[in-house]
Amino acid sequence: MVIREITVAELESSKVGAEAAAQAFHMDEQTFRVFYESTARPLWSYLSRILGNSTLADDLAQESYYRFLRATLKSEDAAYQKAYLFRIATNLARDHWRRAPHQEQSEASDPEQVAVDDRTAEHVQQRSDLGRAMGGLKPREREILWLAYAEGASHKEIADVLGLRAPSVRLLLFRARQKMLKLLRRPQVTPKSPVDTRNRS
Amino acid sequence: MKLPQCDREQEVVDALRSGRWVSAWGDEIRQHAEHCAVCAEVAFAAQAFQREAELASTELQQSGKGLPSAGLVWWKAQLAARRAAEQRAAAPMVWVERAAYVLGALAALGLAVWKWPLIAGWLFRTGTSATTPRYTTAPEYSFTSDLLHWLAQVWTSQSSSLLLAATAAAFLTLMLFAAYVVWREE
Repeated sequence: MVIREITVAELESSKVGAEAAAQAFHMDEQTFRVFYESTARPLWSYLSRILGNSTLADDLAQESYYRFLRATLKSEDAAYQKAYLFRIATNLARDHWRRAPHQEQSEASDPEQVAVDDRTAEHVQQRSDLGRAMGGLKPREREILWLAYAEGASHKEIADVLGLRAPSVRLLLFRARQKMLKLLRRPQVTPKSPVDTRNRS
Repeated sequence: MKLPQCDREQEVVDALRSGRWVSAWGDEIRQHAEHCAVCAEVAFAAQAFQREAELASTELQQSGKGLPSAGLVWWKAQLAARRAAEQRAAAPMVWVERAAYVLGALAALGLAVWKWPLIAGWLFRTGTSATTPRYTTAPEYSFTSDLLHWLAQVWTSQSSSLLLAATAAAFLTLMLFAAYVVWREE
């Protein structure tokens, strides 16, 4: 390997390039750090559960941030920015399914995979229940349920992220919830009543 | 179809997410959920998903890989943006280069057609030492050869100023195209 010396001109040019690239972003590094700390974990969880693949979730989460930084946003509102980031991630996930439709089925529905990923028996049981149920749902149903119940997003926010109309979200969410409950109530899974689950938490 | 719905669905989800559900302040909403079938379903679903979200967080910590730091993501995004900017800057040059190849090929073809009698003569001299055919169709000529002869006759019947004008027009078009691409990028 040949290591050559870097000239001052090259160094200056590299610095100018970095500054030009930073100027192309709609937020500065400090603001981005704060935004990233508050959104990275929820975004990764969302992607890993709708895709059923944690490695792919890593890649798509990073790609979502690259695209987010280069995008032109209409507002500096934190909720809007978060919704925009989730929208980018959702579109990337859909692109992935379009390219590899056979991978649409969540790997989380595979109990062996679940057992490898999770450490405790309780986690395995919990995840195998919901993971199996999510594996039986369509991608859009997984997205809508996760946003509504894990992220606590309103119908309007879900509509913004998924590119739907808010009135449609109510119907889709209702259907997805009914389907998920039906899947959870299948044999070998004991459904827990709301009161029971409340006491557990 | 009329959907079974309750105005307090979002309140149930918010109470679960904030922790109010299990506190003394959550008594009222819990009691409501016990008597409202829709809110009971919502509470059940929300609890399942929130447990799954916690599980995902734990999984992320236990896997030992964690998420990349904000600084690393920022740095990689800068690199990606710089690469994209370089590609955008190089795009006009790539187009002009392609256009130059096409025009060069067309010019070579035009020259070959224009000077076909000379080329054909040279080919026959070096190949068979036969006499140079000039605008006469030799019996052994192929279809391509005939076509080139015909093109040469048509071409040479025009004045040389036409050829010059065509070349100038092609050059001017290429320059205008390059200028437009550069202007659009800027």
